[in-house]
Amino acid sequence: MTTPTTLTGPPTADTTPAPGTRRPSPRAAALLAGVVLAAAALPWTVDAYTVSIASTALVLATLAMSAQLVTGIAGLPTLGQATYLGVGAYTAALLASTGLSNGPLQLLAAAGAGAVAAVLTAPLVLRARGTTVLMVTFALGELARTVASQWATVTGGDDGLHTPPVTVWPGTAPLRAEGYIYLYVLACFLCLAAAVAVLLRTRLALVLHGAADHEARVRALGHHVTRSLLAGWAAAGALAGAGGALLIAANHYVSPADMHLDVSALALLAAAIGVGSMRGAVAGAVAIVAIRDLLGAETGGHAHALVGAAFVVIAYRRPVTAWLHARTARRHP
Amino acid sequence: MGVTAAVTALDGLAFGLLLFVVATGLTLIFGVMNLLNLAHGSLYLGGAYVAYLFSDGGLPGLAVALGVGVVLGTAAGTTLGAALRPLAGHGHLDQALATLGIAFLAADAYTTGFGGAPLPIEPPDLLDGSITLADHAYPTYRLVFIAVAALLALALHLSVTRSRYGVILRATVADRAMAAATGVNTRRVQALAMGAGGALAVTGGVLGAPLLGPAPGVDSTVLVLSLIVVVIGGPGSIGGAFVAAVLVGQVQTVGVILAPTTAPFALLAVLLAVLTLRSRTQTVVHA
Repeated sequence: MTTPTTLTGPPTADTTPAPGTRRPSPRAAALLAGVVLAAAALPWTVDAYTVSIASTALVLATLAMSAQLVTGIAGLPTLGQATYLGVGAYTAALLASTGLSNGPLQLLAAAGAGAVAAVLTAPLVLRARGTTVLMVTFALGELARTVASQWATVTGGDDGLHTPPVTVWPGTAPLRAEGYIYLYVLACFLCLAAAVAVLLRTRLALVLHGAADHEARVRALGHHVTRSLLAGWAAAGALAGAGGALLIAANHYVSPADMHLDVSALALLAAAIGVGSMRGAVAGAVAIVAIRDLLGAETGGHAHALVGAAFVVIAYRRPVTAWLHARTARRHP
Repeated sequence: MGVTAAVTALDGLAFGLLLFVVATGLTLIFGVMNLLNLAHGSLYLGGAYVAYLFSDGGLPGLAVALGVGVVLGTAAGTTLGAALRPLAGHGHLDQALATLGIAFLAADAYTTGFGGAPLPIEPPDLLDGSITLADHAYPTYRLVFIAVAALLALALHLSVTRSRYGVILRATVADRAMAAATGVNTRRVQALAMGAGGALAVTGGVLGAPLLGPAPGVDSTVLVLSLIVVVIGGPGSIGGAFVAAVLVGQVQTVGVILAPTTAPFALLAVLLAVLTLRSRTQTVVHA
């Protein structure tokens, strides 16, 4: 990855977009539109079970975008994004239990709670870099899960919280049919993806990219790296929190299991599949859920092993590619 | 009340020392290879299943389980180190993903091989009784475990601070490039660290099986608690891991007895306090 040219020049010379944020070509735009249309047509083309799995995939895709923002863009590998998803989901569930079943309001509150939780934990995480970030986010995430499991008066303990279906607008009927729930989750996901696309075109994304590549140089250029990392971390927390509200809309249920390491690990895997790109992370999340829930069902309870194999394959992609290139170069010098 | 608290503290010490044995391997691997081995809990669980397979209710069975466990743990650790070598130049993320994948695959293999139910393991007959401590019956095996784990901790401390290998190990942890420049074969040190780390985790599993027996999910419980020990003790620090393990053991047992509702928050509070007080934690290394 190369440092964006704007970060090596004076801060005012901000003309080149960051990698992956260029205006898409007409072909890419048409492809994207086709994918969105196909996703929107899903309730009319597949069975209800697959539609409910698609809703789960969109929740993981939202979490994967959050993981990509901090891991792929800001260079902070996180194993704790499910913490903020849990904070958002419990916020939405508690609002629902007080009678506030409005989905968009739950989404906003969950995103806010996710951002607040991220800001509160940021001083602990942002001191570290590299492997230590993995360690600290993992430890914080698992402790947060324990707290969710033990704080039964608020979170319902290991039994979790069941919530009524969400409504899209005050006074309208609650969303009960799987197809409508999916379409609501898809619409929210598209709004969040649009917000992320806008965020990736801001100066903040440039600084985060630059800090991941060469933090000292970016600092020397006069950029406030710590402040930018905090803003990026908070944005990722908000995104994960919003994912929590979508989880409530899709499942009507949250429990400490939704904050488990496995969930954070899957988001990190999706981000790694995406290699720094948001679209890649979303595709990765969809592929993971398809492997786990659709293909895994065919393998007699070995879905875990399939996902494990996916982790290993993605981890070894670079040395294997390098080895294949070297072999090809030797054969055809 | 005082005696009860002391007995509970003894339980906490046993659990803390169990965590220390496992976490030492984790912190050793991190210090020498800058690698977060997320398959470390799987090695512990492997050790617990080895104890299940070889323990026959007598001391010889436990000795065989320990011997097999050490050999398997060393082999698994060095194989994992060799398997991760191609990823060394590609950053920490790929290494974490690979070890996570291995942990997922191991969990699936354990469930396929041993079923999804917990398998209770009794200590050897000779150590199965209890000893009276201030009118309180205390399990003999737990006391023996405390003694063995304390001896292991002492042996580790002496070998790291007094032996030639300890000097080489500390030099590699402090600055791998400088150690290599002075003629240290850092590849061999890395292989040794992975082997020793694997052996420690599996040993913890074999000896700790009567305390925290084999069951699905034990791998991630042990990994999480060991990781908290490493984070609190300072990544790469064996001495720090000892203090942190005893602390976590006490919070997990005494805390649950004294204040059941706030114990989970206590561990979080300790972690937050340590992380807040410590400055940048990336390269905190003291062997």
